[in-house]
Amino acid sequence: MKRQIPLLIVIILGFIFVIHVFVPHKASADFYDWYQTWIKAISPFMVLLGIMSLFMVHSTKIKRKVPNWQYSVVTLASLIGTGAVGFIWGTQAGTPFMWLFKNVQMPMGATMFSLLAFYIASAAYKAFRARSTEATVLLIAAIIVMLGQVPIGIKISKLIPEASHWILNVPNLAAKRGIAMGVGLGMTATSLKILLGIERTYMGGGK
Amino acid sequence: MSFEVISNFIAAFFTLSIFSFLYKDNPFYKFAEAVFIGVSMGYAIPLVYQDIFIPFVYRPIFVEYKFLILIPTLIGYLITFRFSKNLSWLSRYPIAFSMAIVGMGVPLSMHSYVLVQMRSAMLPVDNINTALIFIGTVTILLYFFFSKEHKGVYGKVTNIGIWFMMVGFGASFGYTVMARISLLIGRIQFLLGDWLGLMK
Amino acid sequence: MADKKMNFFEKMQALDRRYIYLVVALAIIIPLLVPFNSKTYVTEPTENIYKKIDSFSGRNDRAVLLCFDHDASTMAELFPMEVAILRHCFERDVQVFTICFMPTAKPLMDYALQTAKEGYEVQSGVDYVNFGFRPWAIRIPTMLKMGDDISEAVEYDDEGRKLTNLPIMKEIMNYNEMNLVVDFAASAAVLSWITYARARFGANVAAGVTAVMAADNYIYLQTGQLIGMLGGLKGAAEYEKLVDVFACHMEPDENGIMQPAPRDFSKEIIKNTWIKMSDIKNRMHKTARIGMNAQTVAHLMIIVFIILGNIGYFISKRKKNKVN
Repeated sequence: MKRQIPLLIVIILGFIFVIHVFVPHKASADFYDWYQTWIKAISPFMVLLGIMSLFMVHSTKIKRKVPNWQYSVVTLASLIGTGAVGFIWGTQAGTPFMWLFKNVQMPMGATMFSLLAFYIASAAYKAFRARSTEATVLLIAAIIVMLGQVPIGIKISKLIPEASHWILNVPNLAAKRGIAMGVGLGMTATSLKILLGIERTYMGGGK
Repeated sequence: MSFEVISNFIAAFFTLSIFSFLYKDNPFYKFAEAVFIGVSMGYAIPLVYQDIFIPFVYRPIFVEYKFLILIPTLIGYLITFRFSKNLSWLSRYPIAFSMAIVGMGVPLSMHSYVLVQMRSAMLPVDNINTALIFIGTVTILLYFFFSKEHKGVYGKVTNIGIWFMMVGFGASFGYTVMARISLLIGRIQFLLGDWLGLMK
Repeated sequence: MADKKMNFFEKMQALDRRYIYLVVALAIIIPLLVPFNSKTYVTEPTENIYKKIDSFSGRNDRAVLLCFDHDASTMAELFPMEVAILRHCFERDVQVFTICFMPTAKPLMDYALQTAKEGYEVQSGVDYVNFGFRPWAIRIPTMLKMGDDISEAVEYDDEGRKLTNLPIMKEIMNYNEMNLVVDFAASAAVLSWITYARARFGANVAAGVTAVMAADNYIYLQTGQLIGMLGGLKGAAEYEKLVDVFACHMEPDENGIMQPAPRDFSKEIIKNTWIKMSDIKNRMHKTARIGMNAQTVAHLMIIVFIILGNIGYFISKRKKNKVN
């Protein structure tokens, strides 16, 4: 009941899905329609999990008055505030919900990741060393691709974008293909392990 | 001061608060980070309600009277028991339903990532590039075969694979630099253009 | 003298990172404040997306689906390409659908539509439809169901209207008509379109990806699993240029007044056309190309950093060897 039935659901439905790929029979199509309707009704609750988790983490911090607990109050207030704004005025263009996105969420989300530009420049200066032949090859390929992507590359020499194009379409392609085939086999193996009930970690711990 | 100017000022305040982390961790950054997490998560609530709950749960049950939908609704609700000590096992039911689709992934991912890639790696070797792609792919696959020790002739062959991978990683690194710089350009375009009006 | 030089490089090696940050900021701020015209050369993966979308022009039995799989963090790279593609669709009367599976992508999708719509008399439900947000858990089921019937897979649009009632859906059934899916992502999200929509239904799939992901996608371009790709800000700049050169091309009429005169893609035209940035009035239409100026300076800066860092490394290494 606690573990076996969910496992059986995965195994039975999973194998029907395998058959569904190869059998275009009406029964197969009907099964898919049924699954689609059910999973749509199940899906909204999945999002609740993340919200509940955030609430629990931050409310515990506030209750225990851990250092910097005041920021948890800010997080929860922002969460509730944004949700309320969406419910009261709707989520369409021109609403306060969109204003919050444009002037609060979007600038911060974008800036958070733009910090990486500073870190990568600092790493380029302090850490990218041609310590071995392999590392030198990596650096040369990187420099050619970097120059090949910007307009100045073609101004320096027509060969730079051509070399960059060649690197991306030949050695890079071979490298990524070798890796992708390994990943593909790994994905198939993991999916099979889930279908056969060997891989169960996605269900969470406990009995 | 127009509404747009005030809005841009608020956006600039949050942008600069995040940038302030480059100097060192500080209360402005911490405040902005806390707001960011809350707002990002807060977005999901009305959107899920309006775009998912209403059309796929409320409407079928209460408008179209399809009471069978109550069953998946109940199954979906079980996910909220995830944090319960004694009843967390109930949350496995909705997870099981959503995991079942991996069945379809078995033949389709085999097709997309392995079979199609193998077919394209075995094109007629009619020029140097197709030959190089073939050699590169095979030597990299051999490199990842760890059941045989990488020494002697085999070691030399797998070494060719390493060289190909280094060029591939170099290409990825070059592109990564480009990506990170682009993100910063986007923010500086906002600060100089939208906020300060210095760009035309 | 030699000793002095070594000390200089050693000092440079130990330089506080904040000075490096300052140089980075200046390398981007200066070219943005002092703009210059740099030539964007267009690559084949970008051309292929443009040509495919353009071939749907004026047809009611063809549509493009744009899937927004990213949040604001990578907006700087992906937003300009989304606006450019939407502009292309609106300019050339190509039916377009939008969908997203992440809550944080939803406002971005709305913002892109809002931005691209400016200046066009397009109507929701007639020229385009926003399918809205669907949770990640039903992403694969939705893309699979679209292979049979899009109206059943999506059911309602973002405004709560039943898809079957919308005029735009009259001649659109599944991937046979919605013949191109462009996925904008900062991850490998496009692979699921390849795995499910392409492998099972033969849909044409294209990717608009951040530069980080671009190198990984060349294998899918070679196999034809992706018909085209826009890689990072450069890809966006290329598409912006194509839209300006072809879709938004203007020519003077008999009275010398400039009139829209869209033209078909041609390699010759693109090779010989030079667009002055100052001639484009709307900044949103040239964001990526302006950004590429700063990108040029920043790349040169990074290369100089790598070279300086390595010189310092080799000098200190030689010094250490001498001491030993």
